[in-house]
Amino acid sequence: MRIAPSIALVAWTTCVTHAAFAQPSSPEVPHAGEVPHATPPADAPASDTVGASDTRPAAVVSRVEPPYPPSRLESEHGPDEPLPDVDVELEVSIDEAGAITSVKVLTSGGAEFDQQATEAVQSWAFSPALENGRAIASKLHIPMHFEPPPHPEPPPPIDVSVTARRPPPSRGGGDYRISIGQLDAVPHPTAAKLLELAPSVFLMKDGGGEGHAERVYLRGFDAREGQDIEFSVNGIPINEAGNYHGNGYADLNFIIPELVMNLRVLEGPFDPRQGNFAVAGSADYDLGLKKRGLTAKLTYGAFNTSRLLLMWGPEAETDRTYAAAEINHTDGFGQNRDSSRARAMGQYEGRLGDAGSFRVSTAAYFSEYHSAGLLREDDVTAGKVGFYDTYDPRQGGSAARIHTGVDFETKHEQTVFGLQVFGAYTNLRLRENLTGYLLDTQLARQQPHEQRGDLIDLSDSGGMFGLRGFGRQGFELFGQKQEAEVGLLARGDLVGATQQRDLANTGAPYKTDADLDSRLGDVGMYGDLSLRLLEWLVVRGGAHVDLFAYNVEDLCAVKDVSRPDSDNPPGDAACLTQQRFGDYREANQRSSTATIRAMPRVSVLLGPFTGFSFSAGYGQGVRSIDPSYITQDVETPFSSIDSFETSASYAKSFDALALAVQNVFFVTHVDKDQIFSETEGRATLANGTTRAGWAASVRATGDFFDASLSLSLVTSRFDDTGLVVPYVPDVVFRHDGALFHDLFDLDDSPVRGRVGLGVGVVGARALPYGQRSDVIATLDAGTSLAWRFLELEVQGTNLMNLQYRESEFNYASDFDPSNPETLVPARHFAAGQPLGIFVSLSGTLGGNS
Amino acid sequence: MIRRYKFHALTVLLLVPAASCIGSTGGDLVEIDAYAAGPTTLVKGQPYRFTNDRGFDVTLDAAKIHIGALYLNQSVPTSVASDTSCFLAGIYVAELTSGRDVDVLDPTLQPFPTTGFATTERARTAEVWLSGGDVETRSDPTIIVSVRGTAVSGTESYPFEAAITISDNRVVTPPDPALPGAKPICKQRIVSPISVDITPSERGSLVVRVDPAGWFGNVDFSELEQVGDNPSRYRFRDDGTDQPSRALYAGIRANAGVYALSWEDSSGG
Repeated sequence: MRIAPSIALVAWTTCVTHAAFAQPSSPEVPHAGEVPHATPPADAPASDTVGASDTRPAAVVSRVEPPYPPSRLESEHGPDEPLPDVDVELEVSIDEAGAITSVKVLTSGGAEFDQQATEAVQSWAFSPALENGRAIASKLHIPMHFEPPPHPEPPPPIDVSVTARRPPPSRGGGDYRISIGQLDAVPHPTAAKLLELAPSVFLMKDGGGEGHAERVYLRGFDAREGQDIEFSVNGIPINEAGNYHGNGYADLNFIIPELVMNLRVLEGPFDPRQGNFAVAGSADYDLGLKKRGLTAKLTYGAFNTSRLLLMWGPEAETDRTYAAAEINHTDGFGQNRDSSRARAMGQYEGRLGDAGSFRVSTAAYFSEYHSAGLLREDDVTAGKVGFYDTYDPRQGGSAARIHTGVDFETKHEQTVFGLQVFGAYTNLRLRENLTGYLLDTQLARQQPHEQRGDLIDLSDSGGMFGLRGFGRQGFELFGQKQEAEVGLLARGDLVGATQQRDLANTGAPYKTDADLDSRLGDVGMYGDLSLRLLEWLVVRGGAHVDLFAYNVEDLCAVKDVSRPDSDNPPGDAACLTQQRFGDYREANQRSSTATIRAMPRVSVLLGPFTGFSFSAGYGQGVRSIDPSYITQDVETPFSSIDSFETSASYAKSFDALALAVQNVFFVTHVDKDQIFSETEGRATLANGTTRAGWAASVRATGDFFDASLSLSLVTSRFDDTGLVVPYVPDVVFRHDGALFHDLFDLDDSPVRGRVGLGVGVVGARALPYGQRSDVIATLDAGTSLAWRFLELEVQGTNLMNLQYRESEFNYASDFDPSNPETLVPARHFAAGQPLGIFVSLSGTLGGNS
Repeated sequence: MIRRYKFHALTVLLLVPAASCIGSTGGDLVEIDAYAAGPTTLVKGQPYRFTNDRGFDVTLDAAKIHIGALYLNQSVPTSVASDTSCFLAGIYVAELTSGRDVDVLDPTLQPFPTTGFATTERARTAEVWLSGGDVETRSDPTIIVSVRGTAVSGTESYPFEAAITISDNRVVTPPDPALPGAKPICKQRIVSPISVDITPSERGSLVVRVDPAGWFGNVDFSELEQVGDNPSRYRFRDDGTDQPSRALYAGIRANAGVYALSWEDSSGG
């Protein structure tokens, strides 16, 4: 951060100035920094009591000048309030040897000045008085004049960045503030993968392809593609309310990973600021660009992957001002995993008055990809398909996102205001076939048909707009600084979603599963109070209140009729316009409802005590329901969450080491959980569940290393049966580490080397029907050499080239329609990426390269 | 002190999989063997003699059936015919999808060529699929049942043979033109619901015994089509156009009295 060195510079300058200020002046005008001194006036003769006949008075042989009393200089005097000149007169008795026998103050200038003068004269050397050539005792009167030094010119103002914003206060051990730092040396191919730097987070792709959002597991939650985690990027909400593939779907693929500076992962709903989808927790990305100047980075590697990245950080601007653009293509590994992608991001941060800042940010992202989907284990074992093959090459999709946001924050004394407005457009096309030829039921009203194929073709597009604001007030109470904050988040979503099934032979849609037009509203308010009762005891908490409004039009509300009209049979149409006995009705049906939820949240923090801190927290959260479940005027069945946690942490900075250790125990209960349904291709409501677990993490940073380690253990069970919730990992272990140092000089410039290593281990996950998946262990590494403006980087993923199953499921499917159907659940999996080596060369012009 | 608390990365990695196996989602997936045979009262190589409901004394010299697949599911059998699809994903407990021809005059267990798969959930209904390939494909030339024998009533003797298929010849025209899909061909091939009470377990065996006597329960052999003289030979039509062929077809598809499924905990044979 730029503030720390700036403040240090201010402090150093002040100290230097202070030291200069501490010296009194001599009667002569002192030069700056010169130590002034008290001297007898040039025309003031030393007086003595020696007789006038052939006498010579005692004389000063050497002297030390007394300084202006420091205690007088430390009192605050500005240039308009100068320190006084002070005179002190001493009577010094000198014996025949020239030694001082006594010092007496004849004229006092004040105790401080008297003391300075007395102490100084004690170190003077004298020659004795002489009478007729014989040394005699005598006394000298010595006047001393103290003159303060001139007031120094104020130092030039140091441009300390006033645009840095204070993040929300900590909620305890589960509130992880992750600075990427040197850990970007470890391969993290996507911005979403950076979430694994927080404990108990695990990501994988369910064979969904490069353009598909990753599946996230957090604290025993299967958050699917983000439905149980509230995501934001620079404060802009990312979760897509009303997305038919998953309400709260969050595609983070638009984020360029090199722009991620910090990440806040708050595990659990403990902050009153957290809103919808913060069931398992929330994650906020803070983007910026430390490396200033213009950087071009070209990457080529395995699977014919090529990438061009351009980044620009104007030198005169803060690191929150940046622009970046990227184009990427890969053939992917195995069959049907190619993708093409383009994304651009930009932000400008500027000052707003003397104590405010504003930011304007925008992002654009487009992606087209294919995906391999899932394979049956028995087909791979029998050699019918290869480990990296696909059943249906039509699988894949496209994704697009455009968003923009403007925010400002201003401070006046102890009051801070902030306001942000944002808007986004998203579009998702998703085609996946998880079951083959199994789900096409023969309805009596339809012409006889065989299984026509289960390929899901989903199209979801939405516009989101909203605003976020807060006001924070500091005040004093109990002799401590306190804070109170109120805020709001309001958003509206207009979402259109259509899901159909396509014919296997022609690709034409033959059935409509859903056709929804949703208008959703969410207005949330919160109040948060931070009370420091004692120096070491803080209570933080408040409440978040949300109103969720739904207005959903189902454009295919009638999909079957038991007694169709014989004269006007509906045939194979998916969306019907008749009821029993042929009574006419429109195909659509609109439903609207609204519900309010209030969620209290509180955390108690103790410490630090020699680096140790402790916390306990309770919070309630809510997950808004999928619009497809809305019924007119019926109170929406929201999922409510109760979460508890307690933690012990340690943080200390030593000479060359900064260490942070966190240790958290947690329990979370959900009254209506969501479990993925392979037949529906989306999450569906299930019964209540409870999760309990422990997560520990360590981060150590030094002059040449940066390392993090985390381990989490979780048990997740259904409340009614006590059975384990499937697909959730019980054990997640992660290590990321980097070494960096200047290696040697080349042409008078250092060559800096970096090595990064990432190790991930995920325990065997529970699968339906009492099964367990394989253990996943991955090893990734990267190394780089940087010299002047150039950097060469080599990264490797899955260095052990393990053939592993990234995700596994147990369910029924039938991919061979020529044989009797396979209707009993069987093991399916998505293959993990094999060994990949990627080489990058980048150059930076300007900046601090 | 430091050595005492020395941290071994390998230990952590070993602990990870050990700690991964706490708790279950319920149930289990198991591999099963499957066998088919004739009634236990028969003697291999000997004809099967019985009297049907119409008083004919029947001697079967040869009887085979092609079973395409076996299934168990959780649904409780009902007497009401369903207009829904032939199968509903999500309710099946066990399956054996590799078919075989079964000599139903042989009481010894005849194994199906591959193992099947099952969950350890309770099954209340069994299904016998009489198909050579895809159960929904309209045309299927597979001979499902072939028989040879003699029926005697009083002094009349009817040497007969039959080769039964379930193909285009079995398509049923739905009575309501608004419900053209009400009688799909797959319903002709699936014998269901057969009442069972079976909970599969690891390495157990599913056994289906077929009693061909049930096929001929209501057959009036006197109405068989005569296809030969000196000696007389009679043949069942394969189109349901006469009483014997309709009765035989109905007997082959009867969900009671013909197919009996049971579970054995150790492999049989």
